[in-house]
Amino acid sequence: MKPTVQAVDAILPQTQCGLCTYAGCQPYAQAIVENNEAINLCPPGGQETLLKLATLTGQNVQTMLTDMADKEKGLTAAVIREDECIGCTKCIQACPVDAILGTGKQMHSVIASECTGCELCVEPCPVDCIDIIDLPQRAYQPDTARQRFQARNQRLAQLQAEKSQRFQKAKLNNKTANTPTKKASINATLSARQRYIQDAVQRVKQKRQHR
Amino acid sequence: MTTLQSINVEVAYARPDTQVILPVELAVGATVAEAIQLSGILQQFPEIDLQVNPVGIFSRKVVLTQVLKAGDRVEIYRPLQIDPKEARRNRASKNKT
Repeated sequence: MKPTVQAVDAILPQTQCGLCTYAGCQPYAQAIVENNEAINLCPPGGQETLLKLATLTGQNVQTMLTDMADKEKGLTAAVIREDECIGCTKCIQACPVDAILGTGKQMHSVIASECTGCELCVEPCPVDCIDIIDLPQRAYQPDTARQRFQARNQRLAQLQAEKSQRFQKAKLNNKTANTPTKKASINATLSARQRYIQDAVQRVKQKRQHR
Repeated sequence: MTTLQSINVEVAYARPDTQVILPVELAVGATVAEAIQLSGILQQFPEIDLQVNPVGIFSRKVVLTQVLKAGDRVEIYRPLQIDPKEARRNRASKNKT
């Protein structure tokens, strides 16, 4: 009998790290159930997760166990060196579970109880101020991480939808603006634009001569 | 709170040593300022001054009178320790040699 996506997802560690090449734990779970994806792609889950997945899916994993022992990834967390952070928000955008608090030109801080140690924030940081530290025990709650991951995806999808809606609206407004009654004003602005560009070209030419 | 229409939000603040995310239940139409007041975060971290520390929702700065939606996380920020432009200049001059 096929296990449910939910049951597989419940076993996965919810780091949302993407080391399995999927966009997160839930997409990987879906691939296991629906596309018979291999169950040994989760280094943070390690042997423990592999064995649980084997029981659930009925796959034989004896040959995979030593390989998994080699690639098993320990518990880690990200820490920001605050005296180097420039407040660029790149790491915040990369974090799949909203574990980094901060905004543009303000300090970014990792919330220790939320960080899954996925390391996705390390690469985007332009000043390399994020350290990955080893943890003696897990600091995050997998259930919370799952919720944060889902909530974030929903939020981003919502933002995207609003954005494209605004774009469509602007496009429509533009079309109505092109009606004959308004053409004169557009021509006026068009000649104004041409003048502006010509002036700019003139200025650059003068500058070159003076050199 | 016994209002029928209520929303759940969170109020968060982070320092290197401690980080907190406090759940708050509010009436529909409540503002960022109300969430912060109700969370008790100002008592827990007396260094927060809402006149000084900017606030935001999921890393977007907002005003204190912004009305909240369910699931929002109100965040209180801290200033940077360095001037990014100065830091860039320092890095550049270091790499020159």
